[in-house]
Amino acid sequence: MSDEESGWHLTESDPGVFTELLKTLGVPLIVDDLYSLDPSTLASLQPLHALIFLFKWVAPAESSEASVDYDDAFEGFFANQVVNNACATLAVLNGVCNIPGVGMGSELRGLVDFTTGMDPQTRGLAITSSEFLREAHNSLSPPSALSLADLDLGPRDKEDAYHFIVYTPVNGVLYELDGLKRSPVRHGVFPSTGEGWVALARDVIQKRIETYPPGSLHFNLQAIRTDPLPGLRRELEALQAGGHVNLAQQILRQISAEEDKRQRWAFENSLRRHNPLGLIHALLLGLAKAGGLEAATTGAKEKMKERIAKAREEAAKGKK
Amino acid sequence: MATQTLLSFKAGRSFRREGSSFVDASPVKGSLELLRGDDELLHLLWKNRATGQVEDDLIIFPMEAQFLKVPHTAGRTYVLKFSSSNQRHFFWMQDLSDSRDAEYATHVNGYLADPEYDPSTAAGPASSSQQAGPSAPPAPSTAPAGVTEDQLAELRALVSQVSQEQTLSQPGQSYSSARICFYTKRMSEDLSLSDVLTPSNLRPLFSNPRLLTAVFPHLPPDLPVPPSAESIQRIIESPQFQAGVRSLDQALATGLLSGLVKSLGLPEEAGLGVGPFLTAISRQAERDHHDESGQDSMQTD
Repeated sequence: MSDEESGWHLTESDPGVFTELLKTLGVPLIVDDLYSLDPSTLASLQPLHALIFLFKWVAPAESSEASVDYDDAFEGFFANQVVNNACATLAVLNGVCNIPGVGMGSELRGLVDFTTGMDPQTRGLAITSSEFLREAHNSLSPPSALSLADLDLGPRDKEDAYHFIVYTPVNGVLYELDGLKRSPVRHGVFPSTGEGWVALARDVIQKRIETYPPGSLHFNLQAIRTDPLPGLRRELEALQAGGHVNLAQQILRQISAEEDKRQRWAFENSLRRHNPLGLIHALLLGLAKAGGLEAATTGAKEKMKERIAKAREEAAKGKK
Repeated sequence: MATQTLLSFKAGRSFRREGSSFVDASPVKGSLELLRGDDELLHLLWKNRATGQVEDDLIIFPMEAQFLKVPHTAGRTYVLKFSSSNQRHFFWMQDLSDSRDAEYATHVNGYLADPEYDPSTAAGPASSSQQAGPSAPPAPSTAPAGVTEDQLAELRALVSQVSQEQTLSQPGQSYSSARICFYTKRMSEDLSLSDVLTPSNLRPLFSNPRLLTAVFPHLPPDLPVPPSAESIQRIIESPQFQAGVRSLDQALATGLLSGLVKSLGLPEEAGLGVGPFLTAISRQAERDHHDESGQDSMQTD
């Protein structure tokens, strides 16, 4: 099914978008950017439930396929990717639905129950056909604002195809859940002490990164984790009650930082849902009334000429 | 810095019939014009002679395109072919006599190859839109200036399946609705709203509380911060808003937003491009100012 026919919008793959999606689905977890896999960073984000590895998709080399340990008898939740635009939501579901005892809203619960026992392909189709899920996914892109699809602008610059893979522990084994593979992939058992599964995940991810030529891989790591705010607030109360002023201050700073981040996400999400056409027009009209539109347009014309001159230069160079 | 008309002759447009390689002539009377615009660039325009409206305006860089006769066809069809893309624009000569067809083509190619082209050095008299005389120049060679035999052969291969269903004395009824290729300019060639809507350009608006308040109702309803110049500036700098502006730039470049702009209280012409959009908004501001100062006699800032 093509992206256009599927009704699934292209969305940004941003922790703020994913966290909002989880909220809509009634899952009390958040997603955060991971800037490092070192032990102290990972420790500070615990409890950690899954890692999302997002990268520019490249077809795997033939030889690497031979040594892959597929678990075709996997009993947890695993869905194949059927629609490209849904890939981020699908990855999040593959990650979240294998977390033991995870809370979820009744609609998601119903969908998961409905797909019990299905093979990955069928489950993927069921997920993609779920209207409530599609609406939750689409809610963070503007309603077909400018009806660009109707204008048939011709082939869009093909955006790079990014792919999502989830690493998560299930029953003492580290699994890799890749919607484009036929089954989850086993990466071995991990110790129940120390860093546990995240240490193994770190190794696996780092090995994967090393298979690409240096500097060629554009990737992003995100973590599905328990929301730290309720715990931090409880801790703050306890510390304040106990008169531990300095410690309380530290916790307060953490809470502040976390709340600032949430507000930034909320700001960006409100823009994502919003059709900007009215605002663009209002700004231009206001600028015209303030007497500044002419100067701005003249400046824009200058920039346009610069772009054209540059393009000419480059075209001339190319022809040599 | 006025625009300078370099060449003009009667020509109609032909359109590829969707799903085929047939090209059908549109009966509309028009003219093909070459101008040096006040941006110093070469513009190739098609103007509708009945309405006087310029319906196509292409900016063409030197050596980027050629104007070639379509061989193996009954009529006087020419194609504007771009070297760097698949764009093809088809035209047919509308002068009753075909005696000047080759001359026009020569001059078009002359200008396309070099905007400083001097038509008096080419075969035939200098072309200008004023010249209405019937003087018949000596016929130029078959290959228009600057076009090699190889390129002609390439063109023949390209259009070998193109045929005209009707002779040009009875232009056909049908023509493809695929007019989109005429309107889509490369992004870099057009004015961009992204360059207009910058924080520094918007300063006159930000420092005018009355006018700024009028923008507030258009902010996202669930914005988690109160509306203010700061929050608006933050919005303008956000990737989400900038992506929206780029989308609008792209959509306006197609020239097809006449329907959409009406919802903003703008006339249809505002949907023809970024320039017309801005012009219409300027006029809208003047009209509103007129209405406002008519209503209250208090001094406005």
